[in-house]
Amino acid sequence: MALRISARQFLRSARRSYPECHCIRQFSSTVQQAVEPTQPQPPLNERTTHFGFETVAEAQKEQRVAGVFSNIAASYDAMNDFMSLGIHRLWKDHFVRSINPGTTNPTNPQGWKMLDIAGGTGDIAFRLLDHSTLINCNPASKIIVSDINPEMLDEGRKRSLKTSYANSPRLEFLLANAENLSEIPDNSIDLYTVAFGIRNFTNKQKALGEAYRVLKPGGVFACLEFSGVTNPVFNAVYKRWSFGAIPLIGQLVVGDRDSYQYLVESIERFPRQEEFRGMIEKAGFATPGWEDLTGGIAAVHKGVKPLVSDAVEAAARRVEV
Amino acid sequence: MATKTRPLRLYSKRFYHSYDHPAPGGPFPAIETSILRVSTPHIPTHGFTNTSLSLGAQDAGYLPASTNLFPRGAFSLVHYYLYTQRLALAAHTNITAADAVGENGYVMGVGGKVRALVWERLMANKAVVHRWQEALALMAQPSNIPTSLKELAALSDEIWFLAGDKSVDSSWYTKRASLSTIYAATELFMTTDKSADFIDTREFLDRRLGDVKVVGGAVGSVSQWVGFTAHAGINVLRSKGVRI
Ligand SMILES: C[S@@+](CC[C@H](N)C(=O)[O-])C[C@H]1O[C@@H](n2cnc3c(N)ncnc32)[C@H](O)[C@@H]1O
Repeated sequence: MALRISARQFLRSARRSYPECHCIRQFSSTVQQAVEPTQPQPPLNERTTHFGFETVAEAQKEQRVAGVFSNIAASYDAMNDFMSLGIHRLWKDHFVRSINPGTTNPTNPQGWKMLDIAGGTGDIAFRLLDHSTLINCNPASKIIVSDINPEMLDEGRKRSLKTSYANSPRLEFLLANAENLSEIPDNSIDLYTVAFGIRNFTNKQKALGEAYRVLKPGGVFACLEFSGVTNPVFNAVYKRWSFGAIPLIGQLVVGDRDSYQYLVESIERFPRQEEFRGMIEKAGFATPGWEDLTGGIAAVHKGVKPLVSDAVEAAARRVEV
Repeated sequence: MATKTRPLRLYSKRFYHSYDHPAPGGPFPAIETSILRVSTPHIPTHGFTNTSLSLGAQDAGYLPASTNLFPRGAFSLVHYYLYTQRLALAAHTNITAADAVGENGYVMGVGGKVRALVWERLMANKAVVHRWQEALALMAQPSNIPTSLKELAALSDEIWFLAGDKSVDSSWYTKRASLSTIYAATELFMTTDKSADFIDTREFLDRRLGDVKVVGGAVGSVSQWVGFTAHAGINVLRSKGVRI
């Protein structure tokens, strides 16, 4: 409640002091101009990718994303609250509940081996362990929290000390790029999660390929990500909020407008639900479809890695079609 | 090819008859189907639950985690069960054949065939009848109701179709509606029937069919039946702790 009121106040003050935020194009082009002098144009023959609405060389993106999250690491919860209208915690709870980590059956009572990619502050990892332990009475499940950014991982380590998993062998931290998880063996993971991370990856398809590689046959890929708002009216309102207010709040509260501008633009750039599902299937997963949360502000996508025999069959069917 | 003109097509693309359109893989994709198929034998012991689904996944070579393929959880098992049992009716060629002979030694009419097919469908539930109220509770969850009702409608359509009903007039809808309500009521009755060979269920079914005179073609107290079924169903579900 308090959050909603403060959000409204922010929105109002945003209107008052920033008339140009009513127009998305104008807004983003302002930022592009602001950034350009310090960012040299990428040479023409270099592979490029998106950094928000900017196009940058792939090699650069990684550094710049790292910069964004280093800038934000400390004020991380505040950022999530702004971007999700304060409901990211509910989404995360729902995400974890829907996965039902640690569930077993009489012939397979083992713990799950889980990997939380872009796990930053451990938000998802602690929830996964809690659910496995408390709901499914499965204290044998383990998790590796992985992130590309050492500062985010430090934040996660720090926070883990306040949980019952402090210094527990059930919780490990791994510094790695999601596009190259060479330290994780093939076919070794039951559950791969990535929450609000994948839209920052330079090469999403490559990251999906790595997810496929490390998962056991039958293992689950689960992704929670900002998404395409499905209701056009709500979409207009949310866009105005995200492009208008969020960067402004970033400036007022954290003194860092550009990082927040990048974040809202990266959401806008992220593939729509159907397209992303297509990418998950292209990586080889069987998908049960996605679930829109809060009118599609966020969505949960899942995929299951087929058994080798089923994968061969599916590939054959694809060729036939 | 008389089926081409059946009003069925007007309101649903998803209904099809077992031999009208040879099975296009059913409502589930291949991997889901392979898991559901081997989950079914676990129902008598573990019920319409995630445990059955998880054991099925295991049997098919998958993991407990793989049950994430089923966003509707144990209801998928119910749905698959309803679907496969509906399709299995077509195999009763001793009933569906044009010159099929009934218990009384005479060639069966449409009404007799409807009765025999309903009975076969009910008897298919014998192995899981002690778990059926679990299935009903899942079917009654708000998000599952549309699928459950569609399955019920598809079942009564299948039964009329297999019984050789060719009518295309307005009785088409009322026949199906009344058969749906009779079937649902009898299925519910069966879950509490302790009589040998479900004799009581059989009598219950015959009284319902007699009441509505579906057999003779006149369809009367449909609304009465809708009322009864809703009532009985709600009471059972309440007793199962479903808040309605
Ligand atoms: C918005 S945070 C999400 C953190 C956490 N999963 C949550 O839901 O609260 C995005 C994270 O993605 C990480 N990240 C960005 N690019 C990455 C990459 N290529 N590989 C791994 N992590 C990456 C960032 O360091 C950051 O911690």
